[in-house]
Amino acid sequence: MKISPPQVWRNKRFMYKLTASKCESCGHVNFPYSSYCAKCGSKNVKKIEISGKGILESYTVSYQSRDGHEKGLPSVIGLVRLDEGVEIVAPIVDADLDKLKEGVKVEATLRRVYTDSYNGLIQYGIKFRVAEG
Amino acid sequence: MTEVYINSSSMIPIDRYYEYDIYDLVVEAYKNFEGEYDLNNVDLIIVANAYSQKLNNSSLIAPKIAEKIGKPNVPAIKVDNADASGGAALLAAYSMIKSGMVNSILIVGVEKQSDYPSKYLNDAIATNLDDYMYYNGISSHSIAALLMRQYMKKYNVDRNYFANWAIKMHKNAIENPFAYLRFQVDLNTVINSQIISDPIRLFDVGARADGAAILLLSSNKTESSVKINNIVSAQARYEFSPSLPSVKMLRNKLGMKFTEKTGIEIHDSYSIMAALMLEESGIFENGKSLYNLDSINVNLGGGLKARGHAGGATALYQLAEAYMQLIGSFKGKKANVDNYLVISSDDLGIVSYGISLSR
Repeated sequence: MKISPPQVWRNKRFMYKLTASKCESCGHVNFPYSSYCAKCGSKNVKKIEISGKGILESYTVSYQSRDGHEKGLPSVIGLVRLDEGVEIVAPIVDADLDKLKEGVKVEATLRRVYTDSYNGLIQYGIKFRVAEG
Repeated sequence: MTEVYINSSSMIPIDRYYEYDIYDLVVEAYKNFEGEYDLNNVDLIIVANAYSQKLNNSSLIAPKIAEKIGKPNVPAIKVDNADASGGAALLAAYSMIKSGMVNSILIVGVEKQSDYPSKYLNDAIATNLDDYMYYNGISSHSIAALLMRQYMKKYNVDRNYFANWAIKMHKNAIENPFAYLRFQVDLNTVINSQIISDPIRLFDVGARADGAAILLLSSNKTESSVKINNIVSAQARYEFSPSLPSVKMLRNKLGMKFTEKTGIEIHDSYSIMAALMLEESGIFENGKSLYNLDSINVNLGGGLKARGHAGGATALYQLAEAYMQLIGSFKGKKANVDNYLVISSDDLGIVSYGISLSR
């Protein structure tokens, strides 16, 4: 897999920040950002930055990789309900599998996603970890 | 009013065809047609395929397929809606015949998925996810696992509940000569199989491999015609409640009544999707569908689980099996049915097509 710098730059709103849209008509929060509400279709949406704090509603431990993501196995993938009310599916890092529980507080953290060994580029992205305290 | 009929079908067994490329698969399926039907009057070829650019390095496959089957001058187009491509292709073909634009269409479903290790295939399938999930390495398996976990919590069921699906599908597939995994499994085999994304195990996942299936659609009725009564489409993202709103929308749009004479074909990409589809389509009460599989004629060829999952071509297999059940020529497990519901969907049920057929 090759990293495309233009794609990384273009995707910075969900790779380096959690930019979402909030519908002023129905209140639905959409992540990643969309100019139109994915629930009611309204274009009356505003851009919001999500805090990155939320609750781990559920999670799965995955043992099968995708090309370029082999080093992360086994990977923990969480269903996270963010404080702004939106549910997202996201990687959970630094997890002690024996202690990880549904309902714990989680927070966003910037981590390496994969490395393009051919070009020497590294792609980062926002993952989640159990919040301290 | 123009009616639309399925007049013939053809397929090859789903398998790993290391000696064939994507075009060879179609040619093998097409050979079954030759000599039996007049294919000189085909007005259009529609190809259902999802991953040829990523997995086979092939674009413009529809006109290439037309050439390969000896119809270089018949217009050919490709329809891609991921693993629901077959349903989308049928909708396009049905609409064009119904409108009177054309009279006869060959729908070709083909997918070549076994050329690379599964991590490459997983990557191709993950392109169906939203950008955040795709770039963070998440797979469709994990989304299905989360849906399954939510279902287990909500309805208080355990792993054994989902094993019912795999056991039933493998039992059905044994009788189907076109099935990929023709062997019986028991509870121990299913619940002790390899973990893919907990709680999803190997036997919860539709068996992806290579396949090609073909339907001949026409406004002309023949002795072996099956009528397409209706086809509706719906799209809505899965919810972790868990639910599949797109399938619920199909149910409302089709308004179909289920009886013991109704055959059902669903897109069981995962055992959790089978449960959700059977419940959202109104066939069973929520949380109980997989306890009641012996009471319905569902996925008699073994489904995606055991007949095999040919990606964008899968709906063509579903439709071909339903067609053969209705005309009495299916070589696998037979049912005494006079109408059929086929649900074609992508692997996570975001886009779904409901197709009603009758003799």
